[in-house]
Amino acid sequence: MFEITSLTVSYGATTALRDVSIRVSSGEILALIGPNGAGKSTLIRAVSGVIKIDSGQVRVDGLDLASVSNGERARILGVVPQAQPLGGAFTVEQTVLLGRTAHMNWLGQARPEDRQAAHWAMSKTGIEHLAGRRNAELSGGEQQRVLLARALAQQTPILLLDEPTNHLDLQHQINFLTLVRELAGQENLAILMALHDLNQVSMYADRVALLVAGELMASGAPVEVLTEENLHTAYHTRVQIVSGLEGYPPVILPRRV
Amino acid sequence: MIHKQPFIWLGAILFLALVFSVALGAVYIQPATVIGILVDQLPRVEFPKDWPDSFAAIILKVRLPHTILIAITGAALAGSGAAYQGLFRNPLADPYIIGVASGAGLGAVTVMTFNWPRDLLGYYWIPLGAFVGALITIAAVYSLARIGRIVPLTTLILSGVAIGTFTSALTSFLMLNSNDRIYRALSFLLGGASMSGWQPVMASLPYMVVGVVMLVFSGHYLNVLQFGEEQAKQLGLSVERAKFFVIVTASLTTAVAVSFSGVIGFIGLIVPHLARMIWGADYRRLIPLSILGGSSALLLADVLARIIIAPQTLPVGIVTALAGAPFFLWILRRAKSEVFW
Repeated sequence: MFEITSLTVSYGATTALRDVSIRVSSGEILALIGPNGAGKSTLIRAVSGVIKIDSGQVRVDGLDLASVSNGERARILGVVPQAQPLGGAFTVEQTVLLGRTAHMNWLGQARPEDRQAAHWAMSKTGIEHLAGRRNAELSGGEQQRVLLARALAQQTPILLLDEPTNHLDLQHQINFLTLVRELAGQENLAILMALHDLNQVSMYADRVALLVAGELMASGAPVEVLTEENLHTAYHTRVQIVSGLEGYPPVILPRRV
Repeated sequence: MIHKQPFIWLGAILFLALVFSVALGAVYIQPATVIGILVDQLPRVEFPKDWPDSFAAIILKVRLPHTILIAITGAALAGSGAAYQGLFRNPLADPYIIGVASGAGLGAVTVMTFNWPRDLLGYYWIPLGAFVGALITIAAVYSLARIGRIVPLTTLILSGVAIGTFTSALTSFLMLNSNDRIYRALSFLLGGASMSGWQPVMASLPYMVVGVVMLVFSGHYLNVLQFGEEQAKQLGLSVERAKFFVIVTASLTTAVAVSFSGVIGFIGLIVPHLARMIWGADYRRLIPLSILGGSSALLLADVLARIIIAPQTLPVGIVTALAGAPFFLWILRRAKSEVFW
């Protein structure tokens, strides 16, 4: 059980997150949605220990993450950051192996179990054939899978993803999210994922948390949170929810202004 | 071929460069004789002696310490260059360009001005002074260059140039105020490895051994830091501790390089860059390879410096600058589209 309780974070004088509480169970995908600047990335960065928390707690099975070292945290919680250029001169295999940093000694020697974990992660994400290629030679979709593989190689029970489908084309978006869905089930991971595309949220998420201006506006099952009223309040945009299409969850259609 | 066994290749090149450097000079001594003289020094080895005593004196008292000092200097420059480049994630970070070498030079000259070394103990203080100078400089350059959480290329080089010029001016000022030592200090500044004899070598060695061991241990930290500090933290690295370790290490090795050879540019830039192009970016390999390559490169530059206008000797810093400045410009142009960085 991954539990964020009353999380408050500020940048200087501005409060970026106020009293946000979220829980994610194992095997579950929780989608974090909200307009730009609502605090989605801030939440992921605060939870992963990159920025300071003003108050509140992040607990994993009762263990307070504020009390653990970077290394211990990285064995509990893996992060797939927003798309950005990877160290271009590393090969894919080197990159994924560095996901094992928290398991390695300070010389960075890879033991057999580290190599195994890296290869397992590469095969899960379908990038084994790219192992010897340099990151700079990869497409955006491939780089995103490398980042996912690096986080999987950490073999953590919790995975945080920050808008992982940005910059991917439709095929890669769907493949990526399907892969994440499978991983949640097969590996029993607790997954917290910031997403922009509300229809993808509707399709892939078990539960949804809607952040607006740093506060949790609603949370629950997709059908409970993705309502016309909630989305209008959050995004200042009228939408229509269409349900009953065969083989589809409810679909969110924005209206022209 | 050179891709496969880099350590063997670079080791062989270094060996040849060492022999060349000892053999060449105003008096030419055949490499075979050089090796004979050296082997003869080993305890309990009787070598058939067919050389005049003066040869042995030239080799053992002049050329050998000079060669070893040059080898140490080149290794230290390239090793610290690789570390700074990794730390700043910037192909142009080199102890010379970011001003650390000038800061270390100021530290060394300060110690020399107040306490001109008379015995070996006096020599030991010089790298320490250079180390302090290097640390102060890197702290100043880093805090000036940083914008938020990143250290952009332009501000890094600009603040490096500013601080470097400032410390060089202070160095000149100190030198002009110490008349009797001006000549020594001036040739020091020109980068001629002008300190001769065994004392500088003996004074460098302990610092160098510590520096090289720490450099090799920095490799893994630098690898993880290549993803940026935020991701490095998320991958489990104690980022602040790792950065501090690398800065201390690189500053220590810069100080070793500068202490007795002055400010020599571009070796710390060119060698790691070439090593990265040929053998890839794994810093656990890149750093030892840069150390070997830097040693060879500076030895060869020094050999050139001794034969270009023989019997006079050019300061080796002039040779590295003549070869290095065009290379620097080439990297600067390439850096925009650099894919293998």
